[in-house]
Amino acid sequence: MSSELINLTLRVWRQSGPDSPGQFDNYQLNGVSTHMSFLEMLDVLNEQLIESGQESVAFDHDCREGICGTCSLMINGQAHGPDTATTTCQLHMRRFNDGDTVTIEPWRATAFPIVKDLVVDRSAFDRIISSGGYVSVNTGNAPDGNAIPVAGSQQEVAMDAAACIGCGACVAACKNASAMLFVSAKVSQLAILPQGQQERSERVVSMVSQMDDEGFGSCTNTSECEAACPAEISVSNIARLNREYLRASLCGRD
Amino acid sequence: MIRICCTSVGQKVLMALTGLALCGFLATHLSGNLLLFAGEEAFNTYAENLHSMGVLLKAAEVGLLATFLAHLGLAVSTTAMSRRARSRQYDEKESKQGVFALPGGGASNWMLLTGLGIGAFLVLHLVDLKFKMRPDLVYPTDGGAYATVNTVLSSPVSFAAYGVALILLGIHLSHGVRSALQSLGVSHSKWNKLIEIGSMLFAWAIALGFICVLGWVVLSS
Repeated sequence: MSSELINLTLRVWRQSGPDSPGQFDNYQLNGVSTHMSFLEMLDVLNEQLIESGQESVAFDHDCREGICGTCSLMINGQAHGPDTATTTCQLHMRRFNDGDTVTIEPWRATAFPIVKDLVVDRSAFDRIISSGGYVSVNTGNAPDGNAIPVAGSQQEVAMDAAACIGCGACVAACKNASAMLFVSAKVSQLAILPQGQQERSERVVSMVSQMDDEGFGSCTNTSECEAACPAEISVSNIARLNREYLRASLCGRD
Repeated sequence: MIRICCTSVGQKVLMALTGLALCGFLATHLSGNLLLFAGEEAFNTYAENLHSMGVLLKAAEVGLLATFLAHLGLAVSTTAMSRRARSRQYDEKESKQGVFALPGGGASNWMLLTGLGIGAFLVLHLVDLKFKMRPDLVYPTDGGAYATVNTVLSSPVSFAAYGVALILLGIHLSHGVRSALQSLGVSHSKWNKLIEIGSMLFAWAIALGFICVLGWVVLSS
């Protein structure tokens, strides 16, 4: 456990725009409280930069409680930092020691182009969801909550898949920048439930097709995504996606 | 079906199928080779029976070559897809997984290289024993397949090349078999541990089986 206040050298990726070359800049940050979250530490850095007339570091953040999936960052080469099942906003500075050098990079994937500094454009995920990650329902009165029976065990599996917050850590950690864990979670959560059966075949085919079009890599089954996932999505979802895809391709209607 | 060949998921499925088919061939090949332990007569009879299959054997050879080339082609295609997916690498990259058996992140990171190594070995292997055209060897005129195998494997060059290739094969299969099953959707929380252990055992049983054959031939000659 490190002391209450630590001094850090930050190696931060700076890139002024999507087409700029970008480089690492070093910043010395002294007196960082170990009770801070990683994002609060970046806030302190930015205040220091603004006070000295420099441009602040752009990074994504929103809820700061591990739910929204907005924060990202490769911290010392690990998506969301060294902890497991943790987002960057939940990472605390007590995980670092006095005198450490911390390298901070954006997610790197062709499908996630850098907008500025540490901010990447993850709208590729939105387009994958738009292509099939939904169920179509008729509008009207709200249906009775228990009208469609779902076994408890199935609910659990579907909920585990639905825990995906779409942060992109799976893509960031994968050596192939593959989005299979994300897509498989989104396919699984609906394929398991009765409400998702109507569009089951079209969904998986469209979402895989969109995933390929966005330029994500292929899955080599290294399970690096599972280890990096803050929501602990299992690679068994990837096996389910493969089954769903085979089923849709061989037995689905055109 | 055409759609399957073009998507990343489909290509991985085909890669799994061709890979498992090649595993089937390896198991058959090893079971034949193990007859070397049964002596010259048993092995030569097996070889003669195999070669007397004529057109069936030719068809199997063509099928194997096609499967191998498809596996290689799919590997190149999916690797290219993955290279395009990350144009700039990380300055620093660490795994969040546990201890790895190999430097660089386990067998999964070495699939293309080990595969290409096995491919290069295959060319040597065919030159050695199918076409019998190794320039540095004097092939025996009698004694059948048993004598030929002994001549080829007794050469130090063969011993080194075959040894290295078989270790590469073991590494390749130690990830390949499990990965192929996952690509085909074979996964169940109750069975995954067994599938993992079974795949690993199969991989090294094949590699070590061939290594035993190699070692035995070299020691006994």
